[in-house]
Parts: sequence; C-alpha cells; structure tokens
Amino acid sequence: MAARSLWSGSINFGLVNIPVKLFPAVKDTSVRFHLLHDQDKVRLQRKMVCPADGKEVHPEHVVKGYEVAKDQYVVVQQSEIKSCAPEATRSIEITDFVDLSEIDPVYYERPYYLLPDKGAAKPYRLLLEAMKKSKKVGIARFVMRDKEYLAALRPVGDVVCIETMHFGEEVVATDELEGVPGDVKLNDRELKVAQQLIDSLATKFDPRKYHDTFKDCVMKLVDQKARGEKVHISQPREKRPGKAVDLMAALEASLKQAKAKAGAGVNGDLRRKRKSA
Amino acid sequence: MSGSAELKVGRRKVQLSNLGKVLYPDADFRKADVIEYYVAIAPVMIPHLKNRPVTLKRYPNGVEGKFFFEKQCPSHKPDWVPTEHVISESSSRGAVDYCLVNEPATLVWLANLAALELHTLLSRKPGLNQPTMMVFDLDPGAPATVIDSGRVAIRLRDLFEEMKLRSFAKTSGSKGIHLYVPLNTKVTFEQTKQFAQATAMLLEKRHPDKVTSVMKRDIRGGKVLIDWSQNDDHKTTASVYTLRARIRPTVSTPINWDELERAVKRNDPKPITFEARQVLKRVEKLGDLFEPVLKLKQKLPRL
Repeated sequence: MAARSLWSGSINFGLVNIPVKLFPAVKDTSVRFHLLHDQDKVRLQRKMVCPADGKEVHPEHVVKGYEVAKDQYVVVQQSEIKSCAPEATRSIEITDFVDLSEIDPVYYERPYYLLPDKGAAKPYRLLLEAMKKSKKVGIARFVMRDKEYLAALRPVGDVVCIETMHFGEEVVATDELEGVPGDVKLNDRELKVAQQLIDSLATKFDPRKYHDTFKDCVMKLVDQKARGEKVHISQPREKRPGKAVDLMAALEASLKQAKAKAGAGVNGDLRRKRKSA
Repeated sequence: MSGSAELKVGRRKVQLSNLGKVLYPDADFRKADVIEYYVAIAPVMIPHLKNRPVTLKRYPNGVEGKFFFEKQCPSHKPDWVPTEHVISESSSRGAVDYCLVNEPATLVWLANLAALELHTLLSRKPGLNQPTMMVFDLDPGAPATVIDSGRVAIRLRDLFEEMKLRSFAKTSGSKGIHLYVPLNTKVTFEQTKQFAQATAMLLEKRHPDKVTSVMKRDIRGGKVLIDWSQNDDHKTTASVYTLRARIRPTVSTPINWDELERAVKRNDPKPITFEARQVLKRVEKLGDLFEPVLKLKQKLPRL
C-alpha cells in the first residue's frame, strides 16, 4: 500500500483488540483551479480585510466569533474550542452488530479501509470472516482529528471497510419534506409497464462503466490549451516578472553606481577584507 | 528494537522508547544515537529554534522507510511543549498549532518521535510577519554538485558584499548549500522575497551558464538553482544543525567561507560533508559559526 495511513488505533469489541491502520478508500479527483489576475496571470492571494477601515488584518488579530444575536458575537478562543474536542482514544469501539440491509445508504458519509497493524493479521481476518458469515456489520464510534465519528464496519473483499456515518439528527427525515406525493391512484397496467421498463434496463452494477464526463472534458480542454498556448504555471518568477525585473535592474544600477563612486579604489571593488566567519 | 528509558532533561522527564531501533541502517545509527546527538547539540541549536514554528519530518521506520511531514504539533505532546497557533489557508483545519522547540527536553521528545529533520519558519514569535533573515537554497541540478553550489554561494556572498551585507553559509546536509543573510530588523516577507528574487536574477544574468533562478526542473540540468522562493511567511527551511534523512546521518552544518573556498578550489566535497559526530567535535572547537545569523542587524539596501 503506497498511501500512508491517516490514523492508527485498534478495533475493540468485547475483549478483542485488533490494532489497525486507516487508509482512505476514495480519492478526490475533481479538477482544481487556481484564481489568477486576468491581466498578468498572477496567482491571487486571499487577504483578510477589515471593512471598517479597509486595512488588512493579520492572522494574529483574527479570532472566531459566534453570532448570538444580530451583530452580537461571543468570541471563542481556539484553546477553548479545543477543550471541547473529544478525547483521542485511538479506539474503534464496536458496540453493536446489525444487518447491513438495515442501514439506509443515506447514513453513509465517507469510506475508509482498515488494515491490520503488526501482528494483528489473524484477529483481523477472524473478524472479517465472522462478519461475512453472519452477514452483520459492526456499528462503532471512534475519534479522528478531534472529531467523533459514528461508523459502520463491513467486509469488502478481503478488507474491513469503515464507513463514517451521519448521526441520526443530521439526516433529514423524509416526512420533513414538503411536496412528497401521497395518495396518487395508480392502475396495475401502468405499474406493470413501468416495471417492465426497469427490467429491460436491469444489469449488474459495474463502476467502470461510469465516468466523470465533466472532469474528462475539462482536463481535455486544459491539455489542448497547454499544448497550443503558453501555460501559466504558478511559479513565482512568472508571477511578477515585471516587478522582479525592475528591482533587479535597480539593484544592478545601484551596484554600478557604488562601484563608480568608489572610483579608482582597489579595482573599484567594494569588498571589505574578510575575516573568516 | 526494544529499549525504553526515562531521560531527565533539565527539569523535564522525557519517556524514550525503541532506543535500539536502527534509523540509518547504512551507518548503524540508532534512535539512541539520534537522541544523543540532539542532546549534545541542544546548547547551540536551541537559540536558533527558539520561538520559531517548526515542521517535523518524521521517519518512524528509519531513513529508508516512509516519512511524513507534520506541521500540527502532535496532540499527545507533553503539556510543557508550547505551541504557536498560525492561521494557514493551506491547512485543512484553517490553522496550524506548530510546536515551539524552546528547550532541550523538547528536542529530545521530538528525537524520540523519530522527527529526524526539523524545518523552521524564517520568522519568530511574536513577530511572525517579520523574517529575521533572508535565505537562499542553492540546489544543484545534476550533473552539478555541491561544489557547484559552493561556487554559486561564493558569488552570491560577493554580490552581497557589494551591497555591504554579510552572509553566512551552511551545508544543507543533503545536496546543496544554504546561504543566509541575517536581518534582525524591520522588514516584510514581501520585501525579502522580492529582493531575494532580484538578487537571484542578477546572478543568473551575470552567470547564465551556471545559475538559474527558475524553478522548472527541465532547465536546471547542470545548473545551480538559486531558490529564493523560500522567503515566504509559510515556508520552512531545514534548520541549522538538523540531521538530514540521508543514507548517512549528515547534518546541516555552518561552514566558514575559507573552508568553502578551499573545498571548491580542490573540487572536493568531502571536507564540507559533516555527520553528527563530526559536527559535535566542530562545535566544541569552533563554537556556533551561525551565531551572527541570530544577532547581526542588517538592512536591505533601498533601491
């Protein structure tokens, strides 16, 4: 495994303890753009500016405020927020095992893979096989980067997948929605036709069939432009060629001037006799 | 692999583990050796680290294993290790709490985490917006070598002398030479960065066959890149006296100009390559050649 683990700890249930490492199961492959100035393709910077006087506010003067009422803020320090962070227990505590089909996919947030740490291959395998045989998934809690997660552990091939999940209160219940069609009369014939249509499109799920066509298109575009046009690589020299060139010219001129001033001095050289540093 | 102990460093107690673990297999240099080095170098190294946010480069399985950069000070840090909260747009958390290495015990604790390399910001708390020095990383593009970097360092030194600025060199401990211009006066990163770039470009103009100021890899062949872009408020540079994770336990070591000139003249990189134990002997004999970088007050010329 080339990627490095994001987290390490252990799976715990009952008296069993399995040291594991956590790896991402999905990669972010979306196209990222940088924001440039259209005039000279300089990469733009973000600055915090105080609207009161239009002046830049430096990071050490930026604090976090919670709006308790309109325009009224309570300032909360980072250290205070930290005091609320859950204790990093380094343990994935399985509390329940449930049927996979009972968990609606809407609860799933982000998948990771768990791999056994040193010496844990056997208990890891044991958990995996037992989950496969019983067709159950483990429900667990764990803390990663100061945040507590609810998660489901389930077998994926030869690997235990841990899927972070939304807490119940985060999921919008369908009956909170407006516009859900209720009593609509359907006749059997229409239903049969709809079912037939579904059957005619039914197949096995093959993720390879589906591509992010938007990303493919944008990357093709970028490739073409890169070949045809000069690409604006974010590289500080291209960033502000004007300014740096000006500064260099000024530096060069001032050094020449200094030399000229030194006049007939020792080869016009300003070098001091050096002591070894 | 085993070997645990508790080490008393000043008034702190630091738990050590896996002391026998080999971190530099080629040199049979173990974790105990790394800790020993950092304990011994602490008196001269701490003043350079003090109040400077530090990025850790950790090698839990030695220099041949995987490594990771750690900006955020580990959450399991001892209470007595201070941190500095720095808002950072590049961080996913929006801010980074860097460790501050202000006493020898912290250095020992980090060594025990196999944080072989320590990289620091160019500014110091509380003036994080003000670089205390300007730095150039002289990175040779193969087939250029550290000797070519040394030659460029000397040219750069001469250029700074024309500006009446003193500069100081250290080995990167890796392939190149780092050149520092101490400032310790009021200046911004924008100023040092632009000035550093202008200086690099001027040297490139004078020696186009030897020097480049452009980062692109393909045009660097045989030239020395004067990397001026390190002069940035969120970039870190390998600290003076840090071990490097090379095959041998080399150290980023201050060298005086005579030494560098001699090595360049003889085209021999050996006398300017230093490993941990040699560095300790040098420091005993020569003291901290980098002390002026902390103390010397200089101003960039007005242009």
